[in-house]
Amino acid sequence: MVRISAEESFHNKQGIEIVLALIQGRPTQRAMARDAVHRWWWPTLMMFGPHDSESPNTPALVRWGIKTRSNDELRQDFVNQTVPQAQAMRLTLPDPDLRFDESTGNWHFGEIDWGEFWRVVGGDGPCNRERLEARRAAHDDGLWVRQALAAYAARA
Amino acid sequence: MSDTQWPRYEVFVQERPGRPHQHAGSVHAPDPEMALLNARDVFVRRPECASLWVAPSATVRGGTAEELSQPLAAPVSEEGNPDIEYLVFAKLEERGTLAHVGEVHATGPEGALAAAKAAASRPPLALWVIPATRVERTLPEEAASMFDPSRHKPFRDQAFYHIQTALRRLRRDPSPVASLQTRGTKH
Repeated sequence: MVRISAEESFHNKQGIEIVLALIQGRPTQRAMARDAVHRWWWPTLMMFGPHDSESPNTPALVRWGIKTRSNDELRQDFVNQTVPQAQAMRLTLPDPDLRFDESTGNWHFGEIDWGEFWRVVGGDGPCNRERLEARRAAHDDGLWVRQALAAYAARA
Repeated sequence: MSDTQWPRYEVFVQERPGRPHQHAGSVHAPDPEMALLNARDVFVRRPECASLWVAPSATVRGGTAEELSQPLAAPVSEEGNPDIEYLVFAKLEERGTLAHVGEVHATGPEGALAAAKAAASRPPLALWVIPATRVERTLPEEAASMFDPSRHKPFRDQAFYHIQTALRRLRRDPSPVASLQTRGTKH
């Protein structure tokens, strides 16, 4: 687990470094950073999974120690961490309802489009067909390799 | 036939010379030779490997302490050569994995398992025995060609990135990104 956390932390930090490099770059690079943040903000929040009320496996996963926090708690932590980073980078986030709630100390965010979430989960994401076709093509194109290995393994 | 699932092999990794081989996971492969290559590709991404062993999963006899405490459905009588060598793998600690602890000699897997249990320094959490002849091993002279490439692959640690420092610097002096503020608000 220690090694997994270190490696995932690497991806997180590398991502932030890439955004930092882009926003301090040429105007086209800054535009790339803005475009990416605006495209990925909502899908990123969706990635924490459905609302706790829609996540029937969470109690069992917490009991077994696979999850330590619920989807909604982790999502709120992420927003609280990321909004100040985006502010420091002068990047806007595509949520008109985003505001700091003094009473809770949390960044309040707007409602997630769960219709889109479930469409993507169901295989109707923007790159889903492309991704599956790439997998099928790789499998089909690798047929001769598998045949050669099987023939080699079956040699007398 | 080429699209059916290949047999499964259990993989054991030795991180440094002199350390025991530890169970790392499993791979599918058409033969032991390919199993070693697949095991190298899957489990030696980080340069911590001196030797690899693979064995067909079907040749493993054993299980968790709970599984081993169940009586066998039917008594097994093993007869014949009492001198078959079995490698013994034991999981001795909760946070550990199955590690090679030694060898026993027996006529069959049940006898080997009983001998391994008797020889254990303390009750193992899991115990496996595998016939020694079914374990395919990398040779010491192959180690360089098998494991050196991953050692020479540049690997950047997460400590390389100084994100918090960079963000603090930006908060103190936002001029490198200040012009974004007015242009980034159209959404």
